[in-house]
Amino acid sequence: MKIRAVVLLGTVAAVCLLLLTLQMRGHAARASDMLAVVTTPVQSALARINRTTVGVWSTYREWKNVRAENRRLREEAQQLRIEALRVTETVEENQRLRRLLALKAAMPLTTLSGEIIAREWGGWVRSLTVNRGRADHVTRLTAVIAPDGLIGRVVDVRPGASIVQVLTDPASTVGAHVVRTRTQGIVEGEARGTIRFKYMARDGSSIQVGDLVVTSGGGGLFPRGLPVGRVRAIDDRGSALFHYAELAPAVDFARIDEVLLIVGEGAHDVAAFFPEPSN
Amino acid sequence: MRTFVILAVFGGGLAHATLGQALRIADVAPDIPLIVVVLLALRRGPEFGCGAGFIAGLLQDAASGGLLGVQALTKAIIGFVIGAVGGRLRVSQPLVQVPGLVLLTIAEGLARFTLLKLFRFPAPFGDLMTYVVVPQALYNGFLGAALVLALAWAESMRERTS
Repeated sequence: MKIRAVVLLGTVAAVCLLLLTLQMRGHAARASDMLAVVTTPVQSALARINRTTVGVWSTYREWKNVRAENRRLREEAQQLRIEALRVTETVEENQRLRRLLALKAAMPLTTLSGEIIAREWGGWVRSLTVNRGRADHVTRLTAVIAPDGLIGRVVDVRPGASIVQVLTDPASTVGAHVVRTRTQGIVEGEARGTIRFKYMARDGSSIQVGDLVVTSGGGGLFPRGLPVGRVRAIDDRGSALFHYAELAPAVDFARIDEVLLIVGEGAHDVAAFFPEPSN
Repeated sequence: MRTFVILAVFGGGLAHATLGQALRIADVAPDIPLIVVVLLALRRGPEFGCGAGFIAGLLQDAASGGLLGVQALTKAIIGFVIGAVGGRLRVSQPLVQVPGLVLLTIAEGLARFTLLKLFRFPAPFGDLMTYVVVPQALYNGFLGAALVLALAWAESMRERTS
């Protein structure tokens, strides 16, 4: 080993011990001050760099956290929205079923509740498929109703389902009368998806817009008094044999989900069990 | 290279007090200047190791506000010894680097404690070893080994590109 290295170590050791001894005797303030002149600016610069780096890093981490939280909150909001929709749907279904149950319990008719499982809305045919069929003793021409009024009649019975011809079907005809004037007529479906009331002209002038049209009960197919629709417009054809009135259906066929099938004797007047539909 | 050495010695000595906080794990901070001194002493020999240890330790003393000369002396001794015997050790192996740095840190801690005791340092030996010296020695061992590997990789990359 070189002598120079040992001398260097000895010098360093001597300087250090001298420094320590001087400090212990209280004479080191000047040495510390001199070193501080060098070290303090460098330390300040390093601290600044450190603060900036840490600041940038913290900002980046916070940004990442905010982004993750944002994503989480969005998913949570989405879940809550779906949940709210589900609750609303359940509440609405509950209300519909309650109305249907109340009607079923109140009417002096034997009824069978059913659920709509399909809709045919093409124009040529307007029908609903109900999940009640031959197995439930449903027969052809069974009347189908909802809490708001008449929907139509069963035209085809299958083992587990029935096809219901809706009032708006172009082939549908129902005997009806105007409640206020007792004007007799026939409610027919139209290809454009509406229904019209066809009546004799002799007392036609007394029909007014807003009049309620209900089933007449003729033929025994439908119970008497089932709401069919309300007069929306009158087509007065002067001296023609028949006049027409356009009706707004009592039931919103597009939105109906549950129905009642009248499976027993239907020769009753059930008008009292249907509240007056609002205009 | 000279600039790097100056930066390593001066920067290491001062950065320890300022930036060492960022490397803390469970309240244990590595002794970066010691690692720098050991690496330089291994490459440059006892004289350089001694000088680098003295400067880095002195700056560390000044930066930390302790007694000037304590770490200057201990690191100068460590730099000198490692520079003198380093050639005989297989320091390129991580299995040597990690325990080597652990032992050196403990040795430096013992030397510092002895020196401070001469100047009426009050802390008990057991606590100091358990809570300060040994955890720091373990940290130094792994950090130093990682640094050696990183330097070796950087050098091989430089040789490949040149």
